[in-house]
Formats: sequence, structure tokens, C-alpha cells
Amino acid sequence: MEDMLEDTVLVNLRINGRLHELETPAHKSLLDLLREDLNLTGTHMGCMTGHCGACTVSIDGRVAKSCITLAATLGRAKITTIEGLAQDDGTLSALQQAFWDSAGFQCGYCAPGMLLCTAELLETNPDPSDADIDTALAGNLCRCTGYQSIRRAVKAAINTTKEGAPQAAE
Amino acid sequence: MSLYPAFARPRDLGQAAEIMGSLSTGAMIIAGGQEVMPSVNYGALMPEVYIDVGQIAALKGISEENGAIQIGSFTVHRDVQQSDVIQNNLPLLSYAAAQIGGGMQVHNRGTIGGNIVSMHPLYDILPSLLALGADVDILKDGDEQRMALADLMKDASHGLGSESLLVRVLLKPMTPDAGWAYEKLKITAGGYGSANAAAIVTLDSDKITSLRIIVGAVSALPVDISDALSDCRGQAWSEHLAGEIEAKASAAIKDPLSDHQGDGDWRRAMAGVMARRAIEAAVKRAG
Repeated sequence: MEDMLEDTVLVNLRINGRLHELETPAHKSLLDLLREDLNLTGTHMGCMTGHCGACTVSIDGRVAKSCITLAATLGRAKITTIEGLAQDDGTLSALQQAFWDSAGFQCGYCAPGMLLCTAELLETNPDPSDADIDTALAGNLCRCTGYQSIRRAVKAAINTTKEGAPQAAE
Repeated sequence: MSLYPAFARPRDLGQAAEIMGSLSTGAMIIAGGQEVMPSVNYGALMPEVYIDVGQIAALKGISEENGAIQIGSFTVHRDVQQSDVIQNNLPLLSYAAAQIGGGMQVHNRGTIGGNIVSMHPLYDILPSLLALGADVDILKDGDEQRMALADLMKDASHGLGSESLLVRVLLKPMTPDAGWAYEKLKITAGGYGSANAAAIVTLDSDKITSLRIIVGAVSALPVDISDALSDCRGQAWSEHLAGEIEAKASAAIKDPLSDHQGDGDWRRAMAGVMARRAIEAAVKRAG
């Protein structure tokens, strides 16, 4: 039975379009893997208990809290982090630009979660109601309490994405 | 023994049984991780081995055959919410899965199995599953055993035990004439409930003919108060009946939780309020 136990696990993750073959310790969270091994520090560490949403990334097209996702369980997942939203030259995506123009963040710590959840919301529901927006962002806390401006930013993003602006990178 | 945990990836139920049988109580089954990882990060759990059950096909998917619905324990809340089989046959469960706290991120990774076996008093799925009379298949000592979820839920302090794996949940479709509701009292959009209630009623003209009502988040385990409210049968909805339901439901909570969600007396009072609201909404839906 001992031969079925591994101390490290090989994962093949496509992160923001780039393939990474990584030998990860069994106990490592996806958050730590992104920040420590790949220097993708746009994914923020907040509460570490899955309440705040600052560590949100997209796994196989669905948002998840990376602090409570064990990296070793991910196999061959496709992951988009906040760094994957903008273009390579730093040009913001339409969604990010809408948040920027509408002051959709204050300190910015919660922004990765707010943006990635909004991206998934608009992919599945291009014309969400206020209640839909609130439900989609329910897993994200903004300690600057900027919820009204965040909701305004999502509405601005709805208008720009309706015009056919590009979405998150694969 | 390494300072750090090891990792095992059984490919089927046979391997899972073999691994679970060979390891000590320090082994921890991990699926979506939404229950295990917060406890690990918080320092409350220190697994010696993670058993990742994500490769096991038998734990996945939702199916319907001959009037029996099976939900694999690895099915995430988002899929329970959106499944046509669940929406058409078990609208109460589909709705309750959408009320789970933690936001879209947790709905995308948290599993129905994890939600059940954690037996957390504040979680949202159990009241509905108990109201629906769910059965569960458990892999233990290499064999699958079927039992009523209500029997599994008698002891919150021991749960399944580290030698057992929840394989699937089994349910019968709701009858098309059944009215249902799940009510949750919460402070924030993605938060835990301070009290909740799942109700299923059937009516004959406007009189209640059957009632299932489970109250959650007010005791260590959800409480089935259907018997305490058996007097509702034969009665039509009225303000008087609403008052009776609220009083009897509150009185049926013998040992209320008292925590940061609210103290015991208030929780007991809110149990009554949730039961009243759930039954009223279920009666309206049935009518």
C-alpha cells in the first residue's frame, strides 16, 4: 500500500495560456503554488478560510478560491489568474477597464475576485439583474465597503462586453 | 513518518477501500476541499495522508432510472443547481443548493458529499435532503451499504469515520403536486444561516394532507419537526395556523445552538419563524 502514497504530485497546469509542469508537495494550496512557485502575486492571500474571495482564480472556466484548493488535486486544469485578464503588453481587458473607469476598487485587494467572478457571470449571463450581480459576487468581501461602486463597475462592464470586447484569456 | 502529508489517488472504489483500510485515522478524504482546506489552514486539521477521490468515476454524475435519482457524492453544488434531472424532479434540492454560502466559487468546487459528511450545523443541503427522505450508499470495509440519511445523521460528533466513503445520494422524485420551500435567515448574501427550514406539503383543495418540515442551523444537527406539527394536517392555511406552527416549531427545538450567529433563545425563536415562512411558501406553491 505504501507504493500508492506520494510525497509530491506531478501536475500539468495551463496557467494563463502557458503550460507549467510542476512537482507539488501534497499539502500545497493552489494559492501558494501561484504566488511562491510562479510569482503570480496578483492572486491575493486574504483569510485562508474561503470567506473573502481575494484569492479567486478560474479553474477550467469556473471560479474557485485558490487558498482552499489543494494544488495536487488539479491534474491537468486550465487556470486563469488576474494576470491572464490583461493582454501581454499590459493593455487592460474591457472588464478591467470598466472597473478602472468606474472606480470599481479602492485599495484593490479584493479586485482579483471581483473581476474573475464578474467575467464568469457575464459569460453565462450577459444581461444580469442587480440580484444576479449580488449573487455572483457573494463570495467576495470588500473591506473598503465599495460595493455600490463595484456594482456600478459591473454594469459598465455589461455595456462594454455587449459591444463584443474580448474576454479572459484561455 | 514525514513531517508533511502524503497523497494518494485511488482510481476506483476498490482502490479507495484498500487505501482507507490500510491507513490510520490520520488519513483524510479530500474532494472539492471546501470543508477540509479551511480547517487545515486554520490549524484545526493536520492530515497525515490526503486521499484524493477526484479520479473515481463512480462518485460522479447525476442519473435517473426507473423513478430513482442518484447523485454521485463528488457532484458539485453548481451541477446540482443546474441539472435538468434535479430541477425537474427535485426543485427543492436545486433551490437549496443555490442558497449555499461562500459564493459562486464554493458552488463550483464544493461537493454534495462533502456537505453531507461534514455534518456542519449551519450548512444548507441537509434539511432539504432529510425532508426528501434521501438514502445514501456508504463504502465501508470494502462493501457498499445503503442506509437512510436520517440514520446516518444521528450522531454529529462521529460522522462517517475515516474508514468510510460516501458514494452516492439516492432520492425519489417529488410528486408534481407537492409544494416546497427552503427558507434561510442570514445576515450577508454569501453567509451562513442563523436558522433555516425546508418544507414539503401536499394539499387536498386547500387543506394540508401531508407535511415534511426540517429545521436547520439551530441545533447541532437538523431537527425533523414533522411529527411535532402533525396537527397541521386537515387544516387550511390561516393566520391562526401560522401562529401555531411558529410556537410549536420553536418549542420543538430542545437544545438550541448559541454561537456568533445568535444566542439560544433567539435561535429557538427564529426556528419558529423559518418553519412558519417555509410552510407558508410551500402551501402557496402547492395551491
